[in-house]
Amino acid sequence: MSINSRINGDEAGAPPVLGTKQIGRGAKISLAVLTLAVLIPPFVTTSLELTKLSRLVVLVLAVLGVNLLTGYTGLISLGHGVFVGVGAFAMANFIDQGFSLYIAGFLATVFTGLIGLVLGLPALRVRGLYLALVTFGTALAFPPFARRLGTWTGGVSGRNVENDAFVPPSFLGLDDHVHVWRYGICIAVVALWFIVIRNLVNSRMGRALRAVRDNESAAATFGISVRYAKAGALAISAAMTGTAGVLQAILNPYVSHADFDSFLSLRLYAAAVIGGLGTLAGAIYGVLALIVVPAVNGAFELLDSDAIVFGAGLIIMTFIAPTGIAGLFEGRGRGKSSTP
Amino acid sequence: MHGFPAKAADHVLQASTTAGDCWHQLFSFSINLPAGLVATAQTRFNGALMELFIQRCFDGMFTGAIYASLALAIVMIYRSTGLLNFAQGEMGLMGGYVALTLLSPAGSTGIGIPIAGTAFLSRWLPLHPWPTWAAILGAVAFGALLGAVIERFIMRPLADRSSLSQVNVTIGLLILINGIVFQIWGSFSRRVKSPFPTGKDDYFGIFGARLRYTTVGVWATLLVVIVLLSLLIQKTKTGLAFRAITSNREGAALVGVPVSRTLTIGWAIASAIGALAAALVGGAITLNPLTMLNLLIYALAAATIGGLDSPRGAIAGGLIIGLTQSLAPPYLGIPTELTLLPPLAAMVLALTVRPHGLFGTVPVNRV
Repeated sequence: MSINSRINGDEAGAPPVLGTKQIGRGAKISLAVLTLAVLIPPFVTTSLELTKLSRLVVLVLAVLGVNLLTGYTGLISLGHGVFVGVGAFAMANFIDQGFSLYIAGFLATVFTGLIGLVLGLPALRVRGLYLALVTFGTALAFPPFARRLGTWTGGVSGRNVENDAFVPPSFLGLDDHVHVWRYGICIAVVALWFIVIRNLVNSRMGRALRAVRDNESAAATFGISVRYAKAGALAISAAMTGTAGVLQAILNPYVSHADFDSFLSLRLYAAAVIGGLGTLAGAIYGVLALIVVPAVNGAFELLDSDAIVFGAGLIIMTFIAPTGIAGLFEGRGRGKSSTP
Repeated sequence: MHGFPAKAADHVLQASTTAGDCWHQLFSFSINLPAGLVATAQTRFNGALMELFIQRCFDGMFTGAIYASLALAIVMIYRSTGLLNFAQGEMGLMGGYVALTLLSPAGSTGIGIPIAGTAFLSRWLPLHPWPTWAAILGAVAFGALLGAVIERFIMRPLADRSSLSQVNVTIGLLILINGIVFQIWGSFSRRVKSPFPTGKDDYFGIFGARLRYTTVGVWATLLVVIVLLSLLIQKTKTGLAFRAITSNREGAALVGVPVSRTLTIGWAIASAIGALAAALVGGAITLNPLTMLNLLIYALAAATIGGLDSPRGAIAGGLIIGLTQSLAPPYLGIPTELTLLPPLAAMVLALTVRPHGLFGTVPVNRV
């Protein structure tokens, strides 16, 4: 067998990645379920609920960003909440500069990717958990920092986003249902990113990332530039997380530093692990946790914050299902962990 | 001061300034840099500025000692198990709150809200509102117990899992313990009674600056911890076992060193040091569920600068971070809300210049 297939994990027993094999019947069924789950909300929720749901759904991108970094590349980031924030604030400011919404969204995404690269480069020079340290520090420093940059972020009180132009084209007949249109756009953008990442992890670069995750020195021996692989993963991960921020800014035309505290980053990380690292479906399950846990908690008024559930969930999942909810569904939750 | 914070407040108020101003806002500490240098230069001649400088050094040494102790706990675990314990701060936080509960009389109100658990303790615990030192010792004992329990029931079963799994669990513990503390004691900032005299006149005057008894006390405590720790590691059988595990875990297990038990003790000690740090912080500043999160990042920065596997480095790194934090903002004109930035910048600088720290060993990687 070629070197590539070995790195790919087909022989080494690494978790199979959605799409590395032909889409089977199970995958088709889950795709159908997913489509249904996406289609139902607009018909059964109020506009406020749908907007709230959309704001959580776009976090799929952030969780997938964490997943790409941690699950596929073996780097830990505890600061993805910062990238959501940077994306949202960048979006607001690019709109101010007079860009159209779609161009502003694209620019904000690229900008966030660059920020991620700048933050991560010093930490990526060294092997080990240094990226986790730097990103965690950034997550703690971001809210006061954003408070400080009053002109761009609205300072203490936050700022508005000029998203008035974001209305459905008239031929759709959705003029009275702007929230449905926005929900649809969010789903479309999320789906687009999913396809991009799916192709990425099955490409040469995806194999390089997994090789770096499993054994850096071996990867380097095979001619993979470890540094470029890590930097590329970080930039793409930050960029897609920035898109989540862009979409949040569109959904709720008010962004404030308080939305992007360190616990957002920790929750995103917990969601990625609970959902399942190293599988694309894991990001969706992770966001389901982000949606369900606060909802249940709020309905029963059990705890003052969801932190206990996420923390305990992270620990319990590591014990019983190292491959996360995604692994449970694939029937290999128990037994040896083949995730890094 | 250079009048900078006031100016910035204006900026926050008028949100409709141009982007050019924003750059100025962000980078004006570099614009203020010459002024800062002038100020430092003047200290040689100007008595009052000199006093202020020494005072800031003392302040930095105080916080530095606390960072150093937490960094020491992190380094201890990292050396013996190769694991970076992200929950170290929160484990200490819980200890700090235990100290608070132990020394507060029943129903005592910090700021209008009674401290949870005091009523319960005063009913069941003899002599309940304990004196400060006893309460801190109680917290240290609690911290040790917590560390031992976490090692025994959470970390040990995961010993043969990948390091990512183990780190994930410590991150989970961070979130979980923080949530539990928030649930029990709420989000209010509480002040733990300081074990050292904190009166207005409790200081040594040195060159006109005030070296507070608290600072001396915290350093003395840190010194005692270091001496006890090195005695333990150099002179006792457990210490020998600990050193054996640090140098070669499998080899140690093969020659009959009780690896698991020694690691449990190691975790207990590290966690106890964390609890001590939290109790001291609660005495000096305040304790709230976010205190140790910030402290953790300072301690991690300290450990990174000193070298993650070097206890000496942890102490030096703690001091460096403490001094950076107290000296950089006033002399470089960095606003006080951004005190997290200088330590972070120091960490990034250390990673760039000396990636494995001042005293750390450079690892050799084998394929």
